[in-house]
Amino acid sequence: MKNGALLIPVCLGWLAIFWLLPRAKPRSRILGAIIGLAALLALQATFLPPAGNIVRDGMFYLFSGSAILAATLMITDRNPVYAALWFALTTLSVCGLFLLNSAPFLSAATIIVYAGAIVVTFLFVIMLAQQTANANYDHRAVQPVLASVMSFVMLGALLFALQEWGGIDGKADDVAREGQFVAVDASSKANQFSQPPSSNKTEIGSMRVLGRSLFSDYLYVVELAGTVLLIATIGAIAIAPRRSQGTL
Amino acid sequence: MLDKLINLFPEPARPYVLPILAIVIVLNVNLGVCSYLILLERKLSAWMQDRHGPNRVGPWGLLQPLADMGKLLLKEDVIPGHVNKVLFVLAPGISVFTTFLAFAVVPFGPVPSNLTPGDGQFPFIIAPGVDLGIVFIFAIGSLAVYGIILGGWASNNKYSALGCLRASAQVVSYEIPLGMSVVGLAMLNSSMSIEKIMTNQVEQGFIGWNIWYQPLACVIFFIAAMAEAQRLPFDLAECEQELIGGWHTEYSAMKWGLFFLAEYTHVITISFLTSILFFGGWHFPFIAEATSNYTGATAVKVAVLLTKVFAVIVVIQMLRWTIPRFRFDQLMGLAWKGLIPLATVNVLLVMIVKQFDLHTLWLFPLSIAAFVAAGLMATQSSRPFATKAKPIVEEHGHHVHAH
Repeated sequence: MKNGALLIPVCLGWLAIFWLLPRAKPRSRILGAIIGLAALLALQATFLPPAGNIVRDGMFYLFSGSAILAATLMITDRNPVYAALWFALTTLSVCGLFLLNSAPFLSAATIIVYAGAIVVTFLFVIMLAQQTANANYDHRAVQPVLASVMSFVMLGALLFALQEWGGIDGKADDVAREGQFVAVDASSKANQFSQPPSSNKTEIGSMRVLGRSLFSDYLYVVELAGTVLLIATIGAIAIAPRRSQGTL
Repeated sequence: MLDKLINLFPEPARPYVLPILAIVIVLNVNLGVCSYLILLERKLSAWMQDRHGPNRVGPWGLLQPLADMGKLLLKEDVIPGHVNKVLFVLAPGISVFTTFLAFAVVPFGPVPSNLTPGDGQFPFIIAPGVDLGIVFIFAIGSLAVYGIILGGWASNNKYSALGCLRASAQVVSYEIPLGMSVVGLAMLNSSMSIEKIMTNQVEQGFIGWNIWYQPLACVIFFIAAMAEAQRLPFDLAECEQELIGGWHTEYSAMKWGLFFLAEYTHVITISFLTSILFFGGWHFPFIAEATSNYTGATAVKVAVLLTKVFAVIVVIQMLRWTIPRFRFDQLMGLAWKGLIPLATVNVLLVMIVKQFDLHTLWLFPLSIAAFVAAGLMATQSSRPFATKAKPIVEEHGHHVHAH
């Protein structure tokens, strides 16, 4: 079995998260941390990026490490306000990874939308809600087994797909050409709006290339997403109470 | 002269000398200027209200900022017992960190074109060549609200909590017009880089200043940026009369000072952005043109830019003593029903002009017309954009006002 090695880190990771999820009786965090570290070490065998520039590698490990740590703390923290803050830190770390992979606009937009607006709204709601209640059910995970198994099945599927695809480092056939944001697959190539990628190397990941790719290669997807958002907006307005019925 | 300075350092350190010099200059000048801006603000308010203002420490009260700093540093730094200590200490740090970080992409002088590291030119910007300058500033600015939210929540005080809730709603709302107001600029200049937008204006001369093409965007940007900085017409999060001090009620000594340092740094950043994006940066007719290279031209260019920035700061400070604070629903109404539609119309106008290849100066009358139309709609409609309190008796056919 070629991909059997993937099972070890996924199972170990599941064990760590399952152990760390908040329970009625507090458990040892150190044990969970050790299992989680073992899972990451097991994963490194398959997904370790090729070592290159020492600064870039250092940044990569800094951002990815803080992303994983903050994400774990986000789902295992008992205090919802802290959980929201850890989520913000996760977003920032992931944005750092985007930046390392020459996607500055994606990084800035994610910070503005997620860290700047959505997490702030979460915090807003959490602070307004009663979070000082000391009821037992507020301090433990509701369905720890189901939730953690489901999420790790999804993570396993994602890792499997990534391993099969091989990334743009050469294993796959559809390699991103110069000036392209990602590899364009065959169906997008057939798109009549597609334009040849820019040959200017400094433009890789710039807004010009990103915009051109979005509005030519992925035009239908962008239009579809826009329509879905419009429908959602109309739905929100329809659901909201009329002024005559009294608003907030 | 700069070459000599660079050559003092060992070979591997040389590319870092000028950036570090720029950082040191920006940080120190900012810190010094912030304290004197507070004095300026107090003097201006005194002048506008026919008072004397601070005049005891030093001649004309010029040493007052030093006395204030000494007080803030030596005062007891109280951390109340009922607060969440980690977040309470973290909050002022986040405020200062984010506002200073935003300054990294703001040019403070004539940025040399084709700047390469190690060619001995002073960069006049901390991080040159950022393609997404404006977006970067907005991204960092959207993080600044964490300082306020965390400070208010960690204080465990009802007034602070109210202040931070107001701040979060306000900042999230005003980010939208702030971002949309510069979309038109980006389309006209085909770039989001602050340096590039400045260079484009300078090369076209006085008529190239973006204020002639985007007057509406300038107004929207200025208002939204003031709201992001929580300056007075928009300082509902602080709101001394209702909320004592809002989110910083529980803070004292230098932690409180850090919040104010962040606020004034934010004001400086806004002023730099307004003068660079809309008023031509360091360009001024005859004395600082793109072609002028007489002795000391660089100094004159820096002086021109700083003068523009100073003028904007004075306008911001005078606004504080001119316009009363908004009510919360008026604040939200202004953003969602006033600024955001206007910013959208502005983007639409730029699109029309670009699409039909009209002369870009058409944007000036079109923007003014959009502004006047919006004003007419707001004043002539029976329901101005700021929602009126509901009349008490409606079914009798005439309005009975509560006041």
